[in-house]
Parts: sequence; C-alpha cells; structure tokens
Amino acid sequence: QPCRPQAGSRSGARHHRGWVQFGGLVCPGPVRNGSSVAGYCAARPALELQGRCCLSREPELELELGNGVLMWDPSVCSDLTENPLENIPNTSFQGFTRLQSISLPRALECPGGSMAWDLNTTHGDSRTCQGQRNLCNSSGELAWLCPENSQCSPDGPGLVQCMCSGRYHGYKCLREGTFPLLLFYGTLGAVTTILSLLAWGSQRRKAKAS
Amino acid sequence: MAVPRNLRRQPANGSLVSHCTHHHIAVFLLTFFSYSLLHASRKTFSNVKVSISSQWTPSDINTTTLELQPYELWNSSHLFPNAEEATLFLGTLDTIFLFSYAVGLFVSGIVGDRLNLRWVLSFGMCSSALVEFVFGTLTEWLHFYNKWFYCCLWVMNGLLQSTGWPCVVAIMGNWFGKAGRGFVFGLWSACASVGNILGAFLASCVLQYGYEYAFLVTASVQFAGGIIVFFGLLISPKEVGLPELGEEQEGSAEEDANKPLISNDEDEDDQNYSIQAPDTRNQPKAIGFFQACCLPGVVLYSLAYACLKLVNYSFFFWLPFYLSENFGWKEAEADRLSIWYDVGGIVGGTIQGLISDMLQKRAPVLAISLLLAIGSLFGYSRSPNSKPINAFIMAITGFFIGGPSNMISSAISADLGRQELVRGNSEALATVTGIVDGTGSIGAAVGQYLVSLIQDNLGWMWVFYFFILMTSSTILFISPLLVREIRFLLHERHLCTQTG
Repeated sequence: QPCRPQAGSRSGARHHRGWVQFGGLVCPGPVRNGSSVAGYCAARPALELQGRCCLSREPELELELGNGVLMWDPSVCSDLTENPLENIPNTSFQGFTRLQSISLPRALECPGGSMAWDLNTTHGDSRTCQGQRNLCNSSGELAWLCPENSQCSPDGPGLVQCMCSGRYHGYKCLREGTFPLLLFYGTLGAVTTILSLLAWGSQRRKAKAS
Repeated sequence: MAVPRNLRRQPANGSLVSHCTHHHIAVFLLTFFSYSLLHASRKTFSNVKVSISSQWTPSDINTTTLELQPYELWNSSHLFPNAEEATLFLGTLDTIFLFSYAVGLFVSGIVGDRLNLRWVLSFGMCSSALVEFVFGTLTEWLHFYNKWFYCCLWVMNGLLQSTGWPCVVAIMGNWFGKAGRGFVFGLWSACASVGNILGAFLASCVLQYGYEYAFLVTASVQFAGGIIVFFGLLISPKEVGLPELGEEQEGSAEEDANKPLISNDEDEDDQNYSIQAPDTRNQPKAIGFFQACCLPGVVLYSLAYACLKLVNYSFFFWLPFYLSENFGWKEAEADRLSIWYDVGGIVGGTIQGLISDMLQKRAPVLAISLLLAIGSLFGYSRSPNSKPINAFIMAITGFFIGGPSNMISSAISADLGRQELVRGNSEALATVTGIVDGTGSIGAAVGQYLVSLIQDNLGWMWVFYFFILMTSSTILFISPLLVREIRFLLHERHLCTQTG
C-alpha cells in the first residue's frame, strides 16, 4: 500500500536537535511481527506502540509534517522497513548516541557501516542493526586522532566527535581556565593609584600651571 | 697651558653629578617605562601571531581524514582559508603599522613641540591602549572578525604610538644637558629592549587564557602607565622653578658644557643666555617642519638613520626566521637567542655614548663602530652551526650596529634639537626627533619588504651583502659631519700642543 502522511500529524517544522529529515514517508500500519521494535516497546512502560513507531508518551516526541517531508525522531521510532529510502546520508544520525537498535530495508547498509554495530542481522527483506559501538575505543581503521587538548567521544552510529578535555575550552580548545579579571584589575587599579599619588606628590605638586 | 683642556674635560663628570636631583631620576624612570610599555604592546602582537592565526582559520584538513566535529568547535571560523594566508595578512598588518608609525612620527614631533609634551604623551599612551584593546580583545569577545576593521585599527595604533618617541626624547633632552648626554641616553635607550622583554613576558603569562587576554593585559598596563605619566611627569626643569639647561652656567669655566657636540662655529658667546626673570621670558616658539629639516645635520643624520634602522630592524626581525631556516633551530630557541643582539645594542649604546661624551664628538665614534659593524656582519654571515658562537657574534654585531643606532635616535637627536641656532628661541627637539626617527622608520618599513624579496630570489648571503651596503651608506651620509669634526679635533689638539 502507498505511503501517506500519518493522520493527525501537525504541519510546521519543529527544530530540535534530534530530528532527522528524510525525503521519504513512514508508512502507517502496525509493526510487523517479530520486529525488534515491538519487543523493545513492550519492555518499556514509558513507551507505546503507535503504528510502526515506538513513541514516548510525552508530547514532544510526536511525528510532525513539514513541507511535505516527514520529520521523526529515530531515537525512538526505529522501524524504517518498507520505506522507499535509497540512501541515508551518514550525517543524518549525528547526535544519536543512545540509538541502540534500528531496522532498515535490507538494501540499505547499517548507518555508519557494519563496523559501527555489534549485531547486524537480516530477516527477509529487512535488516536490523543492534548495539551501537563506541568507535573511540576501537583500534582498527578508525583509530581516531583528535587534536591537542581534546578527546574523542561518540556522536552517533559510525560517527565521532572531538570535545575539549579538562579545563580547555573555546575555539579549537586553545584556551585553558578562566582569566582572573577581578584580581588583575584590582591589583592594577591599586598600584596605579598609589604610583600616581606618589608621582604627583613628589613631582608635579610644585609645578607651575601648565 | 693645559688649563682649558682640563676645565673642558671636568664638566663631563662634574655637572652630571652636581645637578642630578630626584626630579631627574623620576623623569628618567617615567620616560623609560612609558616607552617600554609602548614597545611591549608591539611585542605582544608579534608573540601571539600563532594563536591569532589559529583563531582565524578552520582546522587543517590535511591532518585529519574526515572533517572534525562539532563544526562550531573546529571549523566555524573562515576569515582565512589556511594558515599561510593568515600569516601573509599578519605580515601586511606589520607593514601597515610601520608606515603609519613613520608618518605619525613626523606629525607627532611637530605636535609635541607646539602642545604640552606631557598631554601628548599621556594621550598617545592611553588612546593607543584603547585601540589595542578594541583590536585584540573586543573583536574576540564579540566574535567580530573583519580584515578592513583590523587594518584601520592598526593604522590608528601606528599613528597614536608614534607620539611616544619624540616626546620622551624631547623631555629627556630638556632635563639632561650635553655633559654626559651620550652616556645617559645610551643607558636610557635600553627602554625599547626592556619593553620587548616585558611584552614577551606578559604575553607568555596570559596566553593560555586566550590571545585576547594578552592584548587586554598589555593595553591595561599601558593605559595605567599613561595615567601615571600624566600625574607625575615634569617636562622641563622650569616647571618646578629649576634653571633651564643653558642658564645655569654663567661666567664659569663650564660655559661650554651645554654647547651641543654638533656645532658649526667654534667661538660663540654664552653671555646672551643668562638667567632671565620668569615673567619677562616669552614662551619659545616652535619652529616649522621645513625649518627643522634645514637645521645643520638633520637631513644627513636622518638619511644615515634610515639606512641604519633598516639594517637594525631587519636583522632583529628576520633573525629568528634566518636561524630556524638556516640551521634548523626551533622558533622558541631562535627567539631567545636573538635577545643577545638586543643586549649587544644596549651595551654598545651606553659605552659608545660614554666615549663620545669624553671626546665631545659623536661622528668619529659612529664611523669607527660602523666600520667594525661591516666586519662583524661579514663574520656573522659565515657563522657556524653552534649556538654559543652564534650568540657571541650576534652580540658583537649588536654592539656595533645597535650602538650607533641608539645614539643617533636619542642622543644625537637631542643634540640636533638643542643646537645654538634654535636654543632659547624656539622648540625644535621633538620635531627633529620626529624627523630623524620618521625617516628611519620608513627605511625600516622598506627594508622589511626588500629583505623578503632578496631572500626569496637570491638567498641569505645576498641579504647580508645588502646589509653591508646599507651600513656603508650610513657611513657615507655622515662623512661630511665626520670630516668637520675630525678637523676640529685635530685643530684643537694642534692648538693645545702649540700652547702647552
């Protein structure tokens, strides 16, 4: 059956870091039997199965429709099978560090490649990727080298980011610590006042008007 | 009769000690540190170039296979696409600063002579500090990076910083007479090098917090210095009622102690300059720019200084680069080694100033020093790959080049500005200092460009030959004055041997 926007969805884009934009639409209908999504949803009381998605009961995680494109939060809606998706760009999953399981059409690769997942199984014409790996720890092809003063942290399946470590901050982690402004200006003000008074007292006090 | 000779020699030591009041010490220290602070902020800019260059560019793509994330942290700054372009722009800023500084020197000298020197100096220090603050700190806090804004600010900074040197030399010239002037000024010219060390120290202390704090600290300290100068600086002895230079000695044997070492006629009359009652004395009129240029010795010394400052500045500026490129030494080591050149310059300026005080003639001392400088430049170009030997030859070269350079820009400018043609009738000291140093700075600015050109096309040996050529030109320019002074010295000696 053709895919349509799910009934009851609101229009207008909501910009939230977790939203992913796809050119395709999620097909309504029940989650297929044996899908890992169903098991995942059943196990957690805070989540409920709506159509093919396992959603949280809180309102901000609803599906929304904007400009003909469906935006959804794959951190919970993890069943993308039977979607006319051709290619998911790698950066689409940026930020989904807690995505533990996702089901895709079999033709698609696991996001980030098979190295990014512990388990990569196929059932019929769907593929399930489970257990996101932390690529920072791996010592394989992606032995990640972050620049000075930064350390590697995961940024989604197959993605890593370099965040500033320790007390370093600022652009390119060049800055360390905070400058003691108050102490500096306090000392400078005091010294300047004393020296100015000293100088004026010893030198200019007897000066003729100029 | 050896009496005149002894009497003439005595004042060099006697009057220096006799009228050294606490005011003299205060003036020495205040002018010393005000120029140091101005120089320190220039050095800060040089020291933070690497950090600024990092701030203006995205991360180096060649070193990582994939683009670094998060984007805002590693790649969001695109003022320059890579570090080479940023370095080119920083070099352009240097050149812009030098040229506006040179132009400013001509103007500031004139302004300083017409307005109150203290007001001009403190205004220059404080407003330059504000401009530096906006340049380095405010742009970073507001994340506003714009090339034209930086250029405009740096032009303004060059113009404002140029108020420093003519004013401080003029004030020192008001307080310290010809007797011992060479020695005092030689010692005092260390202020630029002290400023370099201070700037490097301050910058390295706070660079970890971010380059914007290096600018904040040096600008704030400079501003504070401007305030202290405003409250404490006396520009001339007559401000506190002390006799002005040239009025103290009347009818004593020290009558020619204040005759400048550069003089045209040998028999002059000091009786005109007896102490006048303050209320009948008119405010001396400042002389015009062209009149100042026409004073004897000014043009020749300006051109000589242009050649010499070119060598001095280019040698100092390119030295770390030459050392790290030629011998492969690290930039930090090369930086530290180049301090020896500065040290040689300070020692040279002081000792040569002392000798010229004793001889009471400046040009012969300069000429000999410059001839020996040619030899040391040649020796340095052939220096082996050894740090102690290199540092030693560098110090020697600094002694022979930096010495005359310090002398011309300070003691000789003071001499020129207080010669008998203008003394008592007009104020010329700051104007003359501005002219001499302005011409010198133009030479230095041109030199920056020429050295990189020659080095790119012909190699480092030709750069040294170019320096030798410039040093010879300096000797050429001062040769008329040299001839005159040697003739006078010989005549004097001939007189003494005849009568004694």
